[in-house]
Amino acid sequence: MNVVYFVIQQTMYFAIPLLIVAIGAMYSERSGVINIALEGIMVMGAFVGIFFINIFQSQMSGQTLLLLAILIAGLVGGVFSLLHAFAAINMKADQTISGTALNMFAPAFAIYTARMIQQTQQIPFQDTFFIDKVPVLGSIPIIGPMLFQNCYITTFIGIGIFLVAAYVIKNTRFGLRLRACGEHPGAADSVGVNVAKIRYAGVIISGVLAGIGGLVFVVPTSTNFNATVAGYGFLAIAVLIFGQWRSNKILMAAFFFGVMKTLASAYSAIPVLKSLPIPNEIYKTIPYIATLIILAISSKNSQAPRAEGIPYDKGSR
Amino acid sequence: MKKRLLSLLLAGVMALSLTACVGKPGGSTGDGGNKDADKKSGYELALITDVGTIDDKSFNQGSWEGLEKYAKENDIACKYYKPAEKSDEACMTSIDLAVKGGAKVIVTPGYLFEVPVLQAQEKYPDVKFIMIDATPSNGKGKVKINDNVTSIFYAEEQAGYIAGYAAVTEGYTQLGFMGGVAVPAVVRYGYGFIQGADAAAKDLGLAKDAVSVKYTYVGNFDASPENNAKAAAWYNEGTEVIFACGGAVGNSVMKAAETAGKVVIGVDVDQSTESATVITSAMKNLQPSVYNAVKSYYDGTFEGGKSVVLSAAEDGIMLPMETSKFKVFDQAKYDELYNGMKDGSIKVANDTVAADAKEVPTEIVTVESIK
Repeated sequence: MNVVYFVIQQTMYFAIPLLIVAIGAMYSERSGVINIALEGIMVMGAFVGIFFINIFQSQMSGQTLLLLAILIAGLVGGVFSLLHAFAAINMKADQTISGTALNMFAPAFAIYTARMIQQTQQIPFQDTFFIDKVPVLGSIPIIGPMLFQNCYITTFIGIGIFLVAAYVIKNTRFGLRLRACGEHPGAADSVGVNVAKIRYAGVIISGVLAGIGGLVFVVPTSTNFNATVAGYGFLAIAVLIFGQWRSNKILMAAFFFGVMKTLASAYSAIPVLKSLPIPNEIYKTIPYIATLIILAISSKNSQAPRAEGIPYDKGSR
Repeated sequence: MKKRLLSLLLAGVMALSLTACVGKPGGSTGDGGNKDADKKSGYELALITDVGTIDDKSFNQGSWEGLEKYAKENDIACKYYKPAEKSDEACMTSIDLAVKGGAKVIVTPGYLFEVPVLQAQEKYPDVKFIMIDATPSNGKGKVKINDNVTSIFYAEEQAGYIAGYAAVTEGYTQLGFMGGVAVPAVVRYGYGFIQGADAAAKDLGLAKDAVSVKYTYVGNFDASPENNAKAAAWYNEGTEVIFACGGAVGNSVMKAAETAGKVVIGVDVDQSTESATVITSAMKNLQPSVYNAVKSYYDGTFEGGKSVVLSAAEDGIMLPMETSKFKVFDQAKYDELYNGMKDGSIKVANDTVAADAKEVPTEIVTVESIK
């Protein structure tokens, strides 16, 4: 049983950042703007967030510091994504290119700035955020060890973000308008929806979430930040596509990826898997093979927003 | 849709390859020594990094510090270069660049430079090369060292040995070794670690199989959630201490140790400042040996054309006892081991002893090699 709890706890470290970032990507893409800048935005969010922790860890610690860092990471992510929004919406630029530009800029900026300020590019931080056991909840049998022991507060924030985001996009007026702008911006415009505004909102939400995702990704897995999020921004896009742009499916996809990543890394500590003659490369490839299969099957009737990637031009209405 | 995916993929590949080389600092200079660089003939002392950076808290940093120290003390201009990518051509280009920049001595840390320096030693016979952990070769085992090249190796197995000995002396019985990639230096650390643990178990009179070592190479030198999960899985399974032997892999292992309340042994340089979980570090004395090699050039005693192995006898390896968090293993024991290696009464086999960690001869320790 210990092993099962362990796998679930580890899965959270992989799945939660993927979930947060993929949900962010969903907001951008369903408003009609492709956002492949997620990797870069994650780097920016993590960079500023970790830097904040690094500076203020002598004055405060624990969850307050982490929560403030998350807010700042989100803020920076949101501001950074404005560049993409401006290029994609106002300038009607190719969204893939402007996204790539941000991806290239972010790590270079992080390294340059870190070196300017503190001479080394790695930013160390002290982890005062780890929760051995949540009071009361951690003592519940089965569920306690699964969700409320050996965890970070980010796990619950991630799940909270998911619940709110899934509700908003499905059940609110804003969500409806956002979806309309991604499917048929002309129709939305004709009934008085400001397409540019809605798309800005979509991109900024994705930026905020990607920024948070970057910080959430780094905190549980390293003792310093070295200007990289190891391709998880792109992985989040894979999760988005795997989840077919729908929040519930994205949730499942994120956890599927998380479990597979955990098994690939930790299989040697899982008795059942250890005795199987399967090399760990197989586990590593499963999520990607599954994505390819899903894409192959669903490409005919893909759920991708119809108008995504196409700059809205009032004249073409 | 198709187009979109293709562009997505391309962009992804581009961005990833970019992150691999964004560390390029464009060659900044050391703080001192470069003020009068224009008056003199450029940057006489040069270092070319391998895939790491000069602040990797490990290999490249140690070499750079040695070079920088000499440069500062003697007011010589120094500069480092970073190859644009991990290839022979890129390394060669950096060497060309360094020579154009006025380099008389070039320090190249890392096995990546074996092939490039083989060419460069012919091309630039007047430039001295100091290779760390490498020797000029054609990559297929054919070695040729010209008079302008000295290659420095370290007896990492001795540092690993002391670390393994100390760990078992401290009472740990479930050990782990997590190497980066199975390059000779990493393998030497690992095999030494196993032998040291075995020797300590024998000295303590432990029963057969009382001590076990999990042994793996993670396949990279990065801090990643995958490496973190791997270490966390080992700790969860009962491993008490992991010898993290692969640059930034150590950061992931330290993180896992912090959350699991276990400990780590660092590598190459004193990593005790990285995390409170680091009980000691198996070090090689990069800084003084690069310093001495550079100094020998200016003293006119540069000995080229051969490779040297710096072992305990030359103070080439060590454990930083002042910053180590040992309770049982003390300075006296450390000196005993160190002197034993110096006079040859303790012999540690290096990476040539076995093809796989499982085959390293042990009497008490069992090794579980995880692929």
